[in-house]
Amino acid sequence: MTARTVLRNEWRLLMADRPLRIALGLFALLLVYALVNGVVWTRFQERTVEAAQAGNVERAQALAQELADIEAGAEPASRFSDPRLPNVLGGARGRHTAVLTPGPLTALTVGQSDLLPYYYDVNIYTNESSFQQNGEVESPLNLMVGRFDLAFVVIYLLPLLVLALSFNVLSEEREQGTLALTLSQPVSARGVVAAKLAFRALLAVGMVLAVSLVGLLVTGGFGAPGRILLWCAAVVAYALFWFVLAAWVNSLRRSSAWNATVLVGAWLVLVVVLPASINIAAGLLHPLPSRVQMITAQREASNEAVNRRSELLARYLEDHPEMAEGVVAEEPGLGALAWAATDAVNRRLEEVTAEHDARRAEQIALVRRYRFLSPALLAQEVLLDAAGTGDARFAGFQSQVRAFAERWRDFFVPAIVAGEQMDASALSRVPQFRLADEASGEVARRAAVPLAVLGALLGLVAAGAGVRLGRVRGAT
Amino acid sequence: MQTAESGAGRPPLLEARGLSKRYGATQALDALDLAIEPGEVYCLLGPNGAGKTTTINLFLGFVPPSAGQALVSGMDVSTHDRETKHRLAYIPEQVMLYRNLSGLENLEYFAALGGKGSLGRERLADILVEAGLERDAVDRRVSEYSKGMRQKVGIAIAMAKEADALLLDEPTSGLDPKASNEFSALIERLRHGGVAVLMATHDLFRAKETGTRVGIMRYGSLVTELGTDEIGHADLERVYLEHMHD
Repeated sequence: MTARTVLRNEWRLLMADRPLRIALGLFALLLVYALVNGVVWTRFQERTVEAAQAGNVERAQALAQELADIEAGAEPASRFSDPRLPNVLGGARGRHTAVLTPGPLTALTVGQSDLLPYYYDVNIYTNESSFQQNGEVESPLNLMVGRFDLAFVVIYLLPLLVLALSFNVLSEEREQGTLALTLSQPVSARGVVAAKLAFRALLAVGMVLAVSLVGLLVTGGFGAPGRILLWCAAVVAYALFWFVLAAWVNSLRRSSAWNATVLVGAWLVLVVVLPASINIAAGLLHPLPSRVQMITAQREASNEAVNRRSELLARYLEDHPEMAEGVVAEEPGLGALAWAATDAVNRRLEEVTAEHDARRAEQIALVRRYRFLSPALLAQEVLLDAAGTGDARFAGFQSQVRAFAERWRDFFVPAIVAGEQMDASALSRVPQFRLADEASGEVARRAAVPLAVLGALLGLVAAGAGVRLGRVRGAT
Repeated sequence: MQTAESGAGRPPLLEARGLSKRYGATQALDALDLAIEPGEVYCLLGPNGAGKTTTINLFLGFVPPSAGQALVSGMDVSTHDRETKHRLAYIPEQVMLYRNLSGLENLEYFAALGGKGSLGRERLADILVEAGLERDAVDRRVSEYSKGMRQKVGIAIAMAKEADALLLDEPTSGLDPKASNEFSALIERLRHGGVAVLMATHDLFRAKETGTRVGIMRYGSLVTELGTDEIGHADLERVYLEHMHD
């Protein structure tokens, strides 16, 4: 009865409060804008993926036709692009684009999907530089701050709305004098505050979830109910954390102005300062090699290998003067030498990038260790993971592409070294990339820890607020 | 449950037994003994800091007693918060309401909190009019109300609750004589309906007119108690002033 009465009264107060209605309207507009941003990005990503997949099919068909023509007696267009050559069929002409389809909830959380590559052109020359040049050499925290999407609104702006709605949930009652009349009724301050906050929570969280629902309807993202539940759980837990924090601050029985100052300070520390400090600490404790240095090292390695290959080729031609008039790629010795040089470049690149990868792993480990200090980081981690736009899914994709590149090389390199030619039948045996996407259960297991910690923080603050509000008996 | 028998075997509606309250070194209320029966209007008189408001706050459970008991229908306020508040209505010196809501909406809210959510809007509007509010003011925002109008809404809240006992803390402070007079008439009606009233006031005239008994307090103690039938206005003022001198 009390809850229903308070909820009804709160609705009336909201309807009578023009500035608050305007604030809520603005928040709704921001939500819609964020959703549109997410949907636009998702559509773009879908188009890119479709184009890449269509490219795979078109290239395979064109090569099959060309091979059939050659077998029928036609001459290849160029001796250096002859599809019968394994280094051509497995090289740029026959490349396969491995794609990561957009995460099921990308429209809600663009996350890192606009920063990390979601497709790779795989061929026999795919090496570490292919992954590094496509990836961002950046702090993991900076990578988290991306587009203005729903997750951004939830993490940064929703707390501000929550605080605007609840910083004076009890203090205003005391300041305007209604608390005495309220508490002279057979109700508790704790019950009244809980009901008032429940109304505000329904309003704020309801708006976010309603807009999210629209996003899922537009993008057809209902295929992953487990992920949707996780996403909703993170939104609810994060919003409730700020509500109970406001309740706790109100239970201290200070002025509304004091409450506002403390709560905005808490927002600044938990959402901005702490994450930034962890970011700075990660950079200071585990500095990444500079990108310029890394690119320079990669180039030096490439140049060195290329020079070495030239030397080898020159020596080879000296030994075979009859070949000097025109290089024939199908010559077995030359193919093996060429591949040996490529392989040398790859190994050198692996050494160059290993240090970078190790530092980056240390940074990520540090961020993961200290993310428990900030509810914003915890919620963000779950939102990204649930949406399939977080680090883990992209790392899994990259790892599968690496393995696929390895299979690709294993298929073509023996033929290159042996100087063999390939025919149309080889096309049906060429490795295909099939993404083994992470299961919802796997995502849930990963999200369980940050969600549990967020829930524990929420419970702790709620318990503190509940105990203190239980002691509020009078109007002073 | 703490009970104290009186009258026809029922406990007084409001009873203080050795009720004391200390704030640090200050003894705000010192061993108050008091019993108010249905149909009685007990007026607490005394200067600021005499302990009148503290007494009311103790009956409301707003502050815990340092010693003694505040009982409502025999139930200790400290241990029966909800039950005792169901039986009490309270009108503070300044009835503060939600300014952006109408008088009727405020009444709907507080009546529902008090357990009278089933009263319809029409009945509540009638109660507001019975409490003295003009019919056309019922749906106006409280921000447009005078203090007297807000007090009337406060009375309507108490009336709607149909409480057994009414606690009034300087209810006529700041009201013009006409509004004060209307207020007294309403209290008189409630009294005749069997409501027990405890009213803290500075207004000797109103206490004599409205009350059935007056108690004069000083430094947290009840120094004397008089029946209003036994004494005239001038005598009450004289007795009061005598007790205010050291």
